[in-house]
Amino acid sequence: MILPQSTLAGTARVLAFLMLGLASCRSSEELKSEQYFVTGQQLYMTHCANCHQMEGNGMSNLYPPIVGSQILSDKARIACIVQYGMSDTIVVNGKKFSRPMPPNPKLTEIEIAEIVSFVSMKWGKDSLYTPIEFVHKALADCKPD
Amino acid sequence: MNSKVKSILFHSLFVSAFLFAITACGDSEKKLPILGERDWVKKTVDGKEVVDTIYNTIPKFAFVNQYSDTVTEKIVENKIYVTDFFFTTCPTICPVMKKQMVKVYEAYKGNPDVMILSHSIDPEHDTPAVLNKFAKDLGVEGQQWQFLTGDKARIYEIGQNNYMSTAKEDTTVQGGYIHSGAFILVDKEKHVRGMYDGTTEEGTKKLLNDMERLLAEYKK
Repeated sequence: MILPQSTLAGTARVLAFLMLGLASCRSSEELKSEQYFVTGQQLYMTHCANCHQMEGNGMSNLYPPIVGSQILSDKARIACIVQYGMSDTIVVNGKKFSRPMPPNPKLTEIEIAEIVSFVSMKWGKDSLYTPIEFVHKALADCKPD
Repeated sequence: MNSKVKSILFHSLFVSAFLFAITACGDSEKKLPILGERDWVKKTVDGKEVVDTIYNTIPKFAFVNQYSDTVTEKIVENKIYVTDFFFTTCPTICPVMKKQMVKVYEAYKGNPDVMILSHSIDPEHDTPAVLNKFAKDLGVEGQQWQFLTGDKARIYEIGQNNYMSTAKEDTTVQGGYIHSGAFILVDKEKHVRGMYDGTTEEGTKKLLNDMERLLAEYKK
């Protein structure tokens, strides 16, 4: 009788400790996500919103929308386009766009991670930030020669 | 926005505000001022010496539009018009300006008294074909909004000297050019009557308001 009780208490203590650990871990992740979102939003306003607009709807047939775009499911590609620009013709939400997007060579990996985090959390399905390591790998993989 | 572009923008706004302040005094309160440098000449009328004011007047010009037609000052004869400077590959203030100019276009669509002239400051790239596609993609049709290209020196000259809008090449800025974000309102006598910040909602609102006032001057 004594043994199971102490085991129970011990288990409860361990469980409580684990949950506390998990909770604090989760909240730090959430905190970081919030930071990435806010900084990403500011960077988006400075570097992207002129063409793609503040609400991400793009502008007539000149600049494609981000809202509803397939690209939101391919964050590695978003990172690559933000850094290196693009000149392909693309179809977004059924409309064709062929104007080149200029590269942003001055944006750093953390800034790109923040922008990717912002658009993915705002208009995509993400609820957490995109880490720098992810962006680092994506950019290494798509670096033009 | 690039700080250089910004500083030019503010500079041109300051100049226009200053000109407004000094010209507003003499005019009746309802009339818009005539902006730009002016000169005075003395002449003799009926044996008396009188002073004539020579206002900044938009000179003759000849550019090519998005339909590859030559466009001269005749196209704005007996019309008021709004003009600006941009280039199609501009990644900074131009998209914002065009978004605002579309409001002017929509507000006066089909009005035979109003035109819009947008000059490209990168005419080598912005050929009539490029401008044609740009206009179409922006949702602009017909003759009311002219997208102009042509001799670069002439475009810069008329921009700088007559429309009081800075435009020049600068390889250090994104896109390669700096230019003001001004919308310039010109009356039927080819005088500049107002300059507005074409990158903001407020600037465009003021322009639309002043266009009404200017059109009203001709109704009397």
